[in-house]
Amino acid sequence: MPNAKMFDLARPSRQHLLGYILLAPAVLLVGFIIVYPLAIAIDLSFQQVRIPRMGTRGAFTLANYQRLFASSEFWMACWVTLKLVTVVTIGSLFVGMSTALLVNNRFRGRTLARLGMALPWAVPEVIAVVIFAWIFDSSFGLMSWLFVVTGLSDTMIPWTSSPAAAFWAVALTMVWKGFPFVSIMVLAGLQSIPADFYNAAKVDGASALQRFRWITLPLLMPVLGVTLVLVILWVFRDFSIIKVLTEGGPLKTTQTLSIMTYDQAFGLHNFGYASAVGVLTLVISVVASIFMLGRGTKAIY
Amino acid sequence: MTGLLRKSLVSLAVAALLSTSALTPALAQTTLKFISWQVDDAGNGEWWKSAIKAFEEAHEGVTIEFTKVERGAYADTMTTLFAGGQPPHIVHLASFEFQSFADTGWLEDLDPWIKRDGLDMTGWAGQSVCQWNGQTVCIMMSYFGFIMAYNKAILEAEGIEVPTTYEEFLAAARATTKDLNADGIPDQFGTGHETRGGAGQYLTEMLSYIIDAGAYWTDKDGKVTIDTPEMVEGLTRWKTIISEGLTPVDMSAGDVRRLFADGRIALKLDGPWLYGTMQDGAASADTVVAAPPFTVPLGGSSNVLAIPSEITDEEKELVWEFIKLTMSPEFQRTYATVGGNTPPSPKADISGVEETIPHFPLLVKTMQAASDGGIDRIPAGLELNYNEFSKMIQEETQRMLIQDLDPADVVKTMQAQAEALAN
Amino acid sequence: MTRTFSQSLMLYLTVILTLGLILFPIYWLFITAISTSAELSALPPSFWPSAPQWEIFSRVWEERPIPAWLLNSMIAALGSAALSMVVSVFAGYALSRYRLRGGHSLGLFILTAKMLPATLLVIPLFAVFRNLGMIGSMWTLIIAHSTLIIPFATWMLKGYFDTIPRELEQAAMVDGCSPLGAMVRVVLPIATPGLSATALYAFVLSWADYAYARTFLVNAPQNWTANLGITTMKGEYVTDWNEISAAAVFVAVPVIIIYLILERYLVGGLTAGAEK
Repeated sequence: MPNAKMFDLARPSRQHLLGYILLAPAVLLVGFIIVYPLAIAIDLSFQQVRIPRMGTRGAFTLANYQRLFASSEFWMACWVTLKLVTVVTIGSLFVGMSTALLVNNRFRGRTLARLGMALPWAVPEVIAVVIFAWIFDSSFGLMSWLFVVTGLSDTMIPWTSSPAAAFWAVALTMVWKGFPFVSIMVLAGLQSIPADFYNAAKVDGASALQRFRWITLPLLMPVLGVTLVLVILWVFRDFSIIKVLTEGGPLKTTQTLSIMTYDQAFGLHNFGYASAVGVLTLVISVVASIFMLGRGTKAIY
Repeated sequence: MTGLLRKSLVSLAVAALLSTSALTPALAQTTLKFISWQVDDAGNGEWWKSAIKAFEEAHEGVTIEFTKVERGAYADTMTTLFAGGQPPHIVHLASFEFQSFADTGWLEDLDPWIKRDGLDMTGWAGQSVCQWNGQTVCIMMSYFGFIMAYNKAILEAEGIEVPTTYEEFLAAARATTKDLNADGIPDQFGTGHETRGGAGQYLTEMLSYIIDAGAYWTDKDGKVTIDTPEMVEGLTRWKTIISEGLTPVDMSAGDVRRLFADGRIALKLDGPWLYGTMQDGAASADTVVAAPPFTVPLGGSSNVLAIPSEITDEEKELVWEFIKLTMSPEFQRTYATVGGNTPPSPKADISGVEETIPHFPLLVKTMQAASDGGIDRIPAGLELNYNEFSKMIQEETQRMLIQDLDPADVVKTMQAQAEALAN
Repeated sequence: MTRTFSQSLMLYLTVILTLGLILFPIYWLFITAISTSAELSALPPSFWPSAPQWEIFSRVWEERPIPAWLLNSMIAALGSAALSMVVSVFAGYALSRYRLRGGHSLGLFILTAKMLPATLLVIPLFAVFRNLGMIGSMWTLIIAHSTLIIPFATWMLKGYFDTIPRELEQAAMVDGCSPLGAMVRVVLPIATPGLSATALYAFVLSWADYAYARTFLVNAPQNWTANLGITTMKGEYVTDWNEISAAAVFVAVPVIIIYLILERYLVGGLTAGAEK
């Protein structure tokens, strides 16, 4: 902020006040929607509650957390979440970046191509899961049929009752839904890289790959950092895709932390326990994003 | 841009002011909220709507708002509404999910109401399920017996008689599971089970085989009885059906029914509602309803009506009036003629229903057989933990299928876990 | 930049192939709508039905209150976009122009809105809105969606404002503009691409919601959004996939139109937030 000093010198006190006033609505709104429920969740996680009733509370206990740390289910959910976050993030980054680089070329119909590329983003998840449930149907689904026809498999693949297949069905669906956002962000980032950089590199005889490695990638880093955090948080929180495709099964192999939270709360009516899972999920994502953003910020300056 | 922003700010503020006044509901007219998953169902939905109409005609100034929530989101939605302190006035729940609500004290004890109006509940099918902690917390709306429907054309093509025992059923299913166009993928199945409709549904699908083998999850006193030779036999049957590919896998209930109705499945065990789907299907001329080939057919309570404990007394009075209306002989009869169900009331006049629903006597017979056999889908002693219990059984069964485990070992694991849950 | 013929050909082939793969599921949705149920469960799958049931679209349009659902979704999406834009423009501007004590942590705090599992928010939020007497009102959606949008929108806009030189506002203030007036008259017009991109993001996010609508509007069918309406089309005993797919096609169209309108602003606007 090069001019901040001069600005402050003009009317320092009022300027600061105005800043806080402008910031207030956002903080209040987020606080209203987030802080109160968060406080409730933390409070519930220290009680033995099956279904909460707002306004009443039970005795303080650490039982939920004790049970949680001792349960193999929780650690498995952590592991599944980690796997899914890794696979989906890498998948979305790869596909998103490739498509962005592709439609960044000049050609006729580019606008249409960009629209097509972004379209999955605009399809509501409720609808996307319906489509993918059909495609991954174990008895008549297109995907199984393709595997059989191409000889990759002798029999139809039981997408939702085979652990490995279920994981990949979920991951593929999430990448389809998640990559367009990366693509849009990267495309926008690419626009801001001055053409001079490339021309200079070309004069110096850099190959396309070298130009990508030494110009495109470093300059995209800030954009990628932010995008990465948002994609990760999305995979962390999302539950409707897994819920519809596999319900977290078979044998909990696709049960992420958010599915476990949901299942314990609404499926098994253990809200206290579910809140403990949710609170820990929050802690993990806060730590992860501070870590990622911290790195991102360093990359920016 | 400036003008636009200012305009939108002003309109936002105005809208905010307006909305607060518009939010206060008009109280001159009493509105009872009634949420159900059956609103759009051909038979049941019509029946509910006829009851609502009759009720509104009899009660000037009272309207019932009948809203649909799909089954998949139903339990979550009701939990949220209750926990948030705004339950619907007329509470409609499935008979496997009302227990958590009753246990939290959210459902009115109906005993005083029944006593006050001198209702005779003896012989009301499935009503004992509504007993919770010594109170009557609901009225059973439906108790049904499972039927078997078969595809005449498929059986005739193989020269097979309609099966009447499990052995015949298995032989028929094996003979009719076929790859018709020889592309290496079976496209006609002997039977059809739903395996992705949640744990409770999964257990229902297995249960016909288990009960026919003489086993059940618990005895009448709630003692877990899984580790028995009969249960081993029951699980072996389920394993045979699934691992031999006699049913399409990973399908939802609706899609399996559709497949049967379109003539792609030979034999289908299901509730009375299968008939409606059969009539719409491409193979409607070939599909026939028959008695299930299992001794003691599977039966079960289906759904209940209840009154939330925290609405006002006037509202409770109205809801009770509505419940009583649905229990009246007149509406119990239309529950059969319009809804196509077996009415729980022993006094319902069901004569002549077979003229519109030819297999109706069969429905009554299987319901009676199931009811007399004391069969229900929810095991005694595990009602409150039913979701956890069914999830456990489903997982252990899936483990058995995926890792090809011996049912004799699996029942031991299930027994131990079920005992832990029951305590 | 000039390309040889074979390079062009390769480029076009790659673009077409990629787009084909990406858009296939959407095409499949369309096919699901117009195929008969028997054809849907046939192998090998038919990539074009032998007798397309075009009337499914008019039937769904007439049988279900699709126009009302779409209108409600539109109100919720435009409302959330408007509310969140106003709030985020202020917040983003404040974070960009003033060196606020705790500004960085407030920014992080706003971001936590994106981290809490939605499952845990549902019941407390329901209770909050109930106490305010707002259950069943569109405002619940507009407010709840805005909270999901504001974190990212604030962040994006802050970055965008950072790229606009301060001298412009200072000049305006010398001419007698108030600080707020300078923002509205000078900065916002320049920031149109960033604002459009943020608005699109807000619109899409709200349009895609189902969980909040289900929780807050279940009792108010007249306010049902398209996604909520579609899921209630699932039957208890059997689900008509043709109808659901046809309705889904209707829901996808408005988003595509909005995207087409805002597309030209999108690129360049969207990521300025991260560039600095």
